[in-house]
Amino acid sequence: MNTIGTIELTRRDALKASLAAAAAAGGLLGASRAAFADDTLADIKKRGELVIATEMQFPPFDIADNGTYKGVDRDLIDAVGKELGVKVKYIDLPWTSILPGLDAKKFDLCIAPVTITKERMKRYRFTVPIADATAALMKRADDKSIAKPEDIAGKTVGGQKGTSQLEQLKLFSAKLPKPVEIKEYVDNNQSYADLAAGRIDAAVNSLPNLAYAASQRSDAFAVVLPAFGQPTYFSWVGRLDDATLIDAVNAALIKLESDGTMAKIQKTWFGQTMDLPKTVPEPAI
Amino acid sequence: MRPQVILHSFGYLTQAAGVTLALSLAGILLGFLVGSAVCVARVSPRPWASWLGGVYVSVFRGVPLLVLLLFIYYFLAEFGLDVPAVAAAVGGLALSSGAYQSEILRGALNATPKGQAEAAVALGFATSDIWRRILLPQAFRLSIPPLINEFILLLKASSLVSVVGIAELTRVSMNIASLTYRPLEAYVGGGLFYLAINLGLAAVGAYAEKRLATGAAR
Repeated sequence: MNTIGTIELTRRDALKASLAAAAAAGGLLGASRAAFADDTLADIKKRGELVIATEMQFPPFDIADNGTYKGVDRDLIDAVGKELGVKVKYIDLPWTSILPGLDAKKFDLCIAPVTITKERMKRYRFTVPIADATAALMKRADDKSIAKPEDIAGKTVGGQKGTSQLEQLKLFSAKLPKPVEIKEYVDNNQSYADLAAGRIDAAVNSLPNLAYAASQRSDAFAVVLPAFGQPTYFSWVGRLDDATLIDAVNAALIKLESDGTMAKIQKTWFGQTMDLPKTVPEPAI
Repeated sequence: MRPQVILHSFGYLTQAAGVTLALSLAGILLGFLVGSAVCVARVSPRPWASWLGGVYVSVFRGVPLLVLLLFIYYFLAEFGLDVPAVAAAVGGLALSSGAYQSEILRGALNATPKGQAEAAVALGFATSDIWRRILLPQAFRLSIPPLINEFILLLKASSLVSVVGIAELTRVSMNIASLTYRPLEAYVGGGLFYLAINLGLAAVGAYAEKRLATGAAR
């Protein structure tokens, strides 16, 4: 007998179910736009907008200060956008989502600083360098036992998993009289937090990142000079087949370097200027 | 510990909490529609409908929300289906929560004694009245505590939508931690916002339970 009710419910709610399904599908399919054209640069000019993605947790390159995007990359990409005659739209993505997003054409260019390595060059197209990425160390400000990079022998050092700076630390450690114990973190901020908490003795990262961190929290941190790694550089990355876009960005970056804009941006964020190669350098690792 | 860090970022955190709340509420409401539909399918006497409902629950309860979000946002784009970030976030939350909510509703429906429906049929109630006046009100009342539970879980799980580029509460706390190099303060700030929102949700649930309490308790 009860089945009558159930059947009734089924029929009545079939409508409700299809409405719900339609609503869900509408939310999913909504604003489906045509796939990007073959030539990304032409597409950007047509749209009048360059869409970039970065992770806004990488000071001084990318910061979200009370919701406002700031940093070296912001200043540089704005200048590049001006050169290309387009507006720039910024997307904040966790680092792990950025390269998949680039492949899925969710944006045109990744301006999170990426260290140029041989392995990565096979998959992505790099711009000319935008900053120095040579690996260096940071210690607690009150730690007297570390005065030069070699003093980390036998100590514990932390760094972000999957970064070339961590690879450089491993190579450096192998040459020390006593190897370094290495702790890997999901991101650099956790390694800084553990450094402050005394769980590790030093943190590895690129010199510009560390210099900025130490200047912001000079009560807690100090940079160990000189940088120990081989000279490496940060670049932006695009898709392998977007040669025209990367060429145009490169031309803009080189122009910014020659007209002094780059030096001004460097002075603002690093407190000093640095010379950068005008071509994509052959990676050492 | 420097509370100024939280105070300085209070506006930013409030805004992010708004995003978290809005996305979660949209996900909960859409999820409720999806959940009702799936529940109806599951209790249907038609084998294909109950089978489909069962498959839905198995799939969307079995796939982690993070994977689901990445799938909707990045994988569908490979097929030319460019899902906007907000739609991907709300859709992912709703599809996932719908699976859980359908089971909550089904459980509540099952807990309503069959004899009541049989008695109502014997007394000549119309089928629509049996559902409207007897079964659904009781089932709804029974489902409130687990539904509120699910809402709170969903609100916390919404921190995962940052993978599609939405600046929600957890993401913003991380931004503040990286900017100020003061992770403790940033995460305490974010945690307090979550706590406040969830206490609010729990209060709404407690109020609803009290209002819908059975005659004797009123």
